[in-house]
Amino acid sequence: MTYLFFSYFKDLVGREVTVELKNDLAIRGTLHSVDQYLNIKLENTRVVDQDKYPHMLSVRNCFIRGSVVRYVQLPPDGVDIELLHDATRREARGG
Amino acid sequence: MSWAGPDDIFLSTSLATYLDKKLLVLLRDGRKLLGLLRSFDQFANVVLEGACERVIVGDLYCDIPLGLYVIRGENVVIIGELDLEKEELPSRMNPVSEAEIKRAQKAEREATDLKGSMRKRMEFLDFD
Repeated sequence: MTYLFFSYFKDLVGREVTVELKNDLAIRGTLHSVDQYLNIKLENTRVVDQDKYPHMLSVRNCFIRGSVVRYVQLPPDGVDIELLHDATRREARGG
Repeated sequence: MSWAGPDDIFLSTSLATYLDKKLLVLLRDGRKLLGLLRSFDQFANVVLEGACERVIVGDLYCDIPLGLYVIRGENVVIIGELDLEKEELPSRMNPVSEAEIKRAQKAEREATDLKGSMRKRMEFLDFD
């Protein structure tokens, strides 16, 4: 099983990300941890459209099940695209 | 979730750090359950003790008690840790009885259905 994105996210721990879910909820926070299923734990979270989601007001840390994630929005300088590109080419070659 | 060693629990995605804490669990069907986490597994199956469903309609809300719940992991969207020092809900929200929130839910559902059926009729007439 390939762990390409798991390894990539591990290197992003500590960075600010915005996770957009399939139910359209978007949460901004610091990436605390990730696992092989791409489950995500965020710290210091704020919901993007807070007024629409009053129940999330006092939530500061959360666990997000990998299966419900649509996007993970990254800081533009958080992506070493060449490193990721090389790793992908190696995987594709069967390495 | 991977099972981590004893020193790793503070760095891993394990739900162990949430044990015995009051949590908000968001489900795929939009329900919001609150309760104390008593158990979990690698599928994010979860056991909540003293669970209640927080039903919110506009500025009205009601916590409906449910008791001991086992939630199948595939339904879980988010598990959020509630900060006990912060208000769980904005001050504009008003608690109401279960009967009243159910009436409000029904009214909201009927309004959405009406909006949907009117839209369908307009689409049929092909207005721009």
